[in-house]
Amino acid sequence: METIIIATLVISTFATLSGIFVKTTRQIICLLSFQAAVIGLFELIFCLTNLIMGLNFEALTDFFATFAEWFSAAVISPLIIYWGMMKTENISDKPVVNIRRGGMVIVAIVVSNIILCIFTSSFFPAKINVLPFVALMFSISIFISATRTDPLKILVGLNMAENALFPLFAESPLFIIPFILLLMIFVNLVGVFVIVEAYRDYGNISVKAWRSPE
Amino acid sequence: MYSLFPLLSVMTPLSIGILHLILHPFWFLEQFFKKAHKILLLFGASLTLTIILSMVPYVLAGEILEVPHLALYVDSRNIVGLIGVALIFFLTSIYNVEAEKGGRLKPTMYNFFLMLFLCCMLGLLLSYDLFGIFLFVELTIGVSVILVAHNPSKLSTEAAFKYLIITAVSALFVLLGVLIIFFLAGSTNLFIITSNPDTQARLVENSHLLMLAVACFIIGLGADIGIVPFHGWLPDVFPGSTIIINGFFCSEPIALILALYNLVAPFYRIYPSNTIIMLMAGLGLLSMVFGALVAYSQKNFYRMLAYCSIDEFGHIVFVLGLLTSPMSFIVGQFYLVNSAMMKAGMILSLGSVFFKVGTADMQKLGGLLGKMNKTALSYIICALSLAGVPPLSGFYAKWLLYSVAYNFLLELGGITIAVVTLIFLICISLITFVFLLRSFHHIFMGEATETTKEASEAHWTMWFPTVVLALTSVILGLQPQILLNLIGVV
Repeated sequence: METIIIATLVISTFATLSGIFVKTTRQIICLLSFQAAVIGLFELIFCLTNLIMGLNFEALTDFFATFAEWFSAAVISPLIIYWGMMKTENISDKPVVNIRRGGMVIVAIVVSNIILCIFTSSFFPAKINVLPFVALMFSISIFISATRTDPLKILVGLNMAENALFPLFAESPLFIIPFILLLMIFVNLVGVFVIVEAYRDYGNISVKAWRSPE
Repeated sequence: MYSLFPLLSVMTPLSIGILHLILHPFWFLEQFFKKAHKILLLFGASLTLTIILSMVPYVLAGEILEVPHLALYVDSRNIVGLIGVALIFFLTSIYNVEAEKGGRLKPTMYNFFLMLFLCCMLGLLLSYDLFGIFLFVELTIGVSVILVAHNPSKLSTEAAFKYLIITAVSALFVLLGVLIIFFLAGSTNLFIITSNPDTQARLVENSHLLMLAVACFIIGLGADIGIVPFHGWLPDVFPGSTIIINGFFCSEPIALILALYNLVAPFYRIYPSNTIIMLMAGLGLLSMVFGALVAYSQKNFYRMLAYCSIDEFGHIVFVLGLLTSPMSFIVGQFYLVNSAMMKAGMILSLGSVFFKVGTADMQKLGGLLGKMNKTALSYIICALSLAGVPPLSGFYAKWLLYSVAYNFLLELGGITIAVVTLIFLICISLITFVFLLRSFHHIFMGEATETTKEASEAHWTMWFPTVVLALTSVILGLQPQILLNLIGVV
């Protein structure tokens, strides 16, 4: 793996990790946008260089597909969730587990991923050697979703988990990317629709309060 | 054989749905849609059913109808599933004529999402491309969530959100599995993967990753189906949705469970690991026990049916997971389609009860047998069939399941394990029988209560679909070869 790819993955992993500690919905949406931008940036620059150097049709379609992927994850999806926040509330809350316990879980996730990486690296094909990073970011994102009561933050965690799979899309067939992007946008729209409707019904934005309205 | 039938069966509901979407912004058509949307939905469902039924003679003649460039096919492996989905959808569309009273979605959008839902389920059954399956799974989930949220009650949004989060995470597992297989095999076409020796060699060489991908498929689709331990959303979605949406949802497991089989079985044939069997059969057994025991203690009939569904999914995943048995797929399909139809019959019957009395609490109900006799008769026939009472179709399905499980375990672990497992499976069925019979007793027998004293039989469009489903159970019980011949032609 090239150093720049490792650097990109490390930065995006830290961005994902920071999601655990941020308080407001606005902050976590910004973080989602940053995480997606960093994950897709390397591939985008790589495709742009190819386009400038080669100037062929294949490079052009590659660039547009990558740009669409990057733009959708870093701009459109966060904007949809931001719109949901505008329709509801920008609330400040903490994860349902305390810092100490949460920290211990994160350390356990990181250590188990490192151990998994060491044991599995021998039989991973070179094409998917990014899998340990993907698994780490995916686990942290799911942890974010599981420890929040604000549904918008849960939705952000889900998007971060989806973004974590982006490094694996690099080698996937080009025709599939528009469909995956449309699905991502569709799922976000459905999520925001449900949250806005629930906010109208319950008058608050907490999954905990929705479960026990009395 | 190249045929446009598979494409037509997917495009018909999609086109009708898109037509609704295009006409949605025209405000002057709103009044027209308010009057005609139920008929249009029924038209779309009946047209789709007709197209699917027209493929049956070809399948019986042993033909494979295929659209190769879109990776869609129809043969004996999926025709029964297609008929099951389209039939449940058609009957629920009849039920919808009287029962639908509006919700959060406008009539045009409601029809659009229902038609899209039908299209996705058919696509899921027809596709043999991994990316295609993933796309249809994710779309099915997204549309299902919107349909749950259609219910104007408060419960629906919380249930829809829970459903969205659990199933969206599970869809990521399916995507991860698809990407791993694509990296290893270089193709996403299941026919190419299973027929090309080079691809198979690459998969066997990376058996650890192959197993990871299969585990991702089981976790991902397991959560979408609602098997234990990924079932968290199911008991909330049943009471949270409208009665009609619950009826439409009965067809969803047919598509999802067969998709799970299509994603797991080919890779088991390439790399026959017992871990896959243990995972599938183990989750199936766990779901059976959990579903039956928790359903037993429920007082709300929607929640009882939700846990009863988990029990049924457990049976199906268990038998489909016995991958070495040559009969497992045939029996699994028979059980799956029969269970979906009986569950639809029960849900629609209880929907009529809810429609008339406005409560799902079984302790507040009673004495409805004389007031809603057709509904009561349909309910008890479907419930007895689901519990496996002869001579109904459910008895035949359970008998075949026990036979496959017994023979499989006899070969694997000897007569003691086979007999013990058989007794265990019969005990689970007995629990199902008891709680279903008890629910009938609570809802329909005894004296009328304060809640039920004004109740009367539902409109004919509401009892007719349930009677058809009950009759299907009797006919398939007496002549099970109607379905078995269709599944068994290879």
